[in-house]
Amino acid sequence: MCLGIPGKVVELRDDNGLAMGVVDFGGVRRECCLAYVQDDVALGDYVIVHVGFAITKVDEAEARRTFEVLKEMGDTAELDWITQVATDSLAMGGDA
Amino acid sequence: MKFLSEYRDADIAKALIARIKAEATRPWTLMEVCGGQTHTIVRQGLDELLDGAVEMIHGPGCPVCVTPLEQIDKALAIAARPDVIFTSFGDMLRVPGSDCDLQQIRARGGDVRIVYSPLDALALAQRTPDKEIVFFAVGFETTAPANAMAVWRARELGVRNFSVLVSHVTVPPAITAIMEAPDNRVQGFLAAGHVCAVMGWTEYEPLAEKYRIPIVVTGFEPVDILEGMLLAVRQLESGRHEVENQYVRSVRRDGTPAARTTVEKVFELGDRKWRGIGEIPMSGLRLRSEFSAYDAERKFGVADLAVDEPAECRAGDVLTGRLKPPKCGAFGTRCTPEHPLGALMVSAEGACAAYYHIGKYRTQETAGAAS
Amino acid sequence: MTATAGGGVSIAQGLVCPAPLNANDRVQLGHGSGGKMSAAIVAERFWPKLQNSALGQFADASLITVAGAELAVSTDSFVVQPLEFPGGNIGSLAVHGTLNDIAMMGARPVCLTAAFVLEEGLPFDLLDRVIDAMARASAEAGVPVIAGDTKVVERGKADGLYINTTGIGVLDGALRPAPGRATVGDAILVSGPIARHGMAVMAQREGLAFESAITSDSACLMPLVEQLRGLGSAVHVMRDPTRGGVASALNEIAQASNVGVEIEEGALPVPDDVRAACEMLGLDPLFVANEGVLVAFVDAAVRHRALDLLRAHPLGAGATAIGVVVAEHPRMVALRTGFGGTRVVDMLPGDQLPRIC
Repeated sequence: MCLGIPGKVVELRDDNGLAMGVVDFGGVRRECCLAYVQDDVALGDYVIVHVGFAITKVDEAEARRTFEVLKEMGDTAELDWITQVATDSLAMGGDA
Repeated sequence: MKFLSEYRDADIAKALIARIKAEATRPWTLMEVCGGQTHTIVRQGLDELLDGAVEMIHGPGCPVCVTPLEQIDKALAIAARPDVIFTSFGDMLRVPGSDCDLQQIRARGGDVRIVYSPLDALALAQRTPDKEIVFFAVGFETTAPANAMAVWRARELGVRNFSVLVSHVTVPPAITAIMEAPDNRVQGFLAAGHVCAVMGWTEYEPLAEKYRIPIVVTGFEPVDILEGMLLAVRQLESGRHEVENQYVRSVRRDGTPAARTTVEKVFELGDRKWRGIGEIPMSGLRLRSEFSAYDAERKFGVADLAVDEPAECRAGDVLTGRLKPPKCGAFGTRCTPEHPLGALMVSAEGACAAYYHIGKYRTQETAGAAS
Repeated sequence: MTATAGGGVSIAQGLVCPAPLNANDRVQLGHGSGGKMSAAIVAERFWPKLQNSALGQFADASLITVAGAELAVSTDSFVVQPLEFPGGNIGSLAVHGTLNDIAMMGARPVCLTAAFVLEEGLPFDLLDRVIDAMARASAEAGVPVIAGDTKVVERGKADGLYINTTGIGVLDGALRPAPGRATVGDAILVSGPIARHGMAVMAQREGLAFESAITSDSACLMPLVEQLRGLGSAVHVMRDPTRGGVASALNEIAQASNVGVEIEEGALPVPDDVRAACEMLGLDPLFVANEGVLVAFVDAAVRHRALDLLRAHPLGAGATAIGVVVAEHPRMVALRTGFGGTRVVDMLPGDQLPRIC
């Protein structure tokens, strides 16, 4: 339901007691409210921004770890193998 | 873009699709309760690629689609006032009320403006002290922290000409409503990653237990969604029913506590109507009484406006998976994207509009190939 | 804080949806969007009372024959906000826009007219910058402004200024593209990166503003048309996809030619920063305006030659093929996603609106 995209915190400032900052989304920058993540976000960290608010910090270590697993899955050889298994199992009546 | 583009990798997506097909021994029915996920599924044609291994029901997860007619009519009444600048997220402007939408109010002289953030509406109020600035505070738990902060800041800064028309809903009561329906078909849920980024997932644990259904907290990119489906299918195949987190890079079990705290300070739970579904007890948020000065319904005397919704559209049955849009009597005849009966036909990602376009395409493709 | 149990809510059968809108009694912004509402206002209100064979061509410019000479005529009004944007201003846009409409018919523009509606209070230095930009654009194209008009309205009655330009071009040779000439098998080319103009303007809008290095692509497309001129009748359709973006232009062509259009999502040239801005606001670059890009439908046999010719000019350096014309699903545009899925790319009813979900 909620369009949120990852961006990198490139500027931090205090606006009358409200934690604000500039977040860079692939070369496009916008001012965002960082009040909800200020305790664990530093310059260079990635956050998910929804309607101008950072709602969570992106955990880069977790992202790397989980993506490695996916990347392995995307390996072409494995892809072909799985496709083959899938085709075979369908031919045999779908009992994998 | 980092943390975005890589989750659109076609090879990984194809591998996940192959795996889902290989591991599903029977067709499973899952529901996503998230407009953003529906958007990705429809735009990438993901359910088409799954060949029926998983049927996705597009649940009531779009804040625009579930905002009740009554709230839209209140918005229209307020926006038409000459002393008001009415601000809103862009996608609310085309949602039909009883006799028009916000764009038509603008054409009749109302000052209706699109903003990106509720803080932009607050800033407009500070810049424009001679006008009343009203913000249409719609959304699920993801958006509530932003809207709560706008109200909190308005009080802190003493901005008196700012108010919000609240139409906030929460996900868990909707899941309960769907599971309690007598003819429910949903066997597992993809929970909305950004709702959980704020709320965490502890409130889903009793639901998974009570209804013995897998609930997978899932992100928004194609790879995320396919992985979420795979995790749900694996649970179903092995007879498990747990809350599982696919979106680990952005969601922690306790969410973002600071955001929840501000939401709790500004809003409280209340009953709320869902368009197409009806009233669900304690499924919405409303302003706490100490913030009533920022309540646009009170400020402009529209709180008592009650609207009966006409009956021809069966959005409720579609959203709960009991009716496929093409089986609806009005589908494609009295209800089209140009003249929608309901919100599901309005946006290209609404379940009805999605079926309408794909259906037209497949019919024409067959006709074209035959000729 | 959210309740986890709502009790047994029975979901009422078949209720709750609004009645169809019937209060369309006046013009809305969407009528100027280049989408379905624009098409409807023309078809339902203007066409029935003003119809004639030239107007009925429904092309970027109308072709007429005067004293044996074949002419292309086009007119366009420019109401852009803000008046100045990265990569141009309303003056350069008003020249490029009309020249491009003439050029898309294969015609050589020979002259322009310009009519200004100025708002009382408009600073002269701003007006001068607009006129300077017009003069430069006109000189670069070698097409003079031969007639003009100036009106002034009270403060508050116009957004600073509006410009209308009309252009006249001369047709010669075999290059006769038309919206109805797309043929099954045609290759569909775009001359460069898309969605830049719309996002450059969007970046400046109150309420949506963001910082970026995105500049408008506003440019005169005449040099690219000259590059393709030698291909003559093998160029079936040319279009500059302005309002409504590439998606609307392709839909209009599919309908005019009664063919299906199929494009590859991965082949669409969208610059990274434009894509990022679209992601942020939830917009689809296919529907975002361009002011210096042309879409060409060419015979498959000349596809590579056409691409080489476009790329040989700096304006067309980013030219690429994005799809083909098919016999299936006539009058519709289908997009193949990176995963082999398909979706229909329909025209939007009105303006594309930023979304939160």
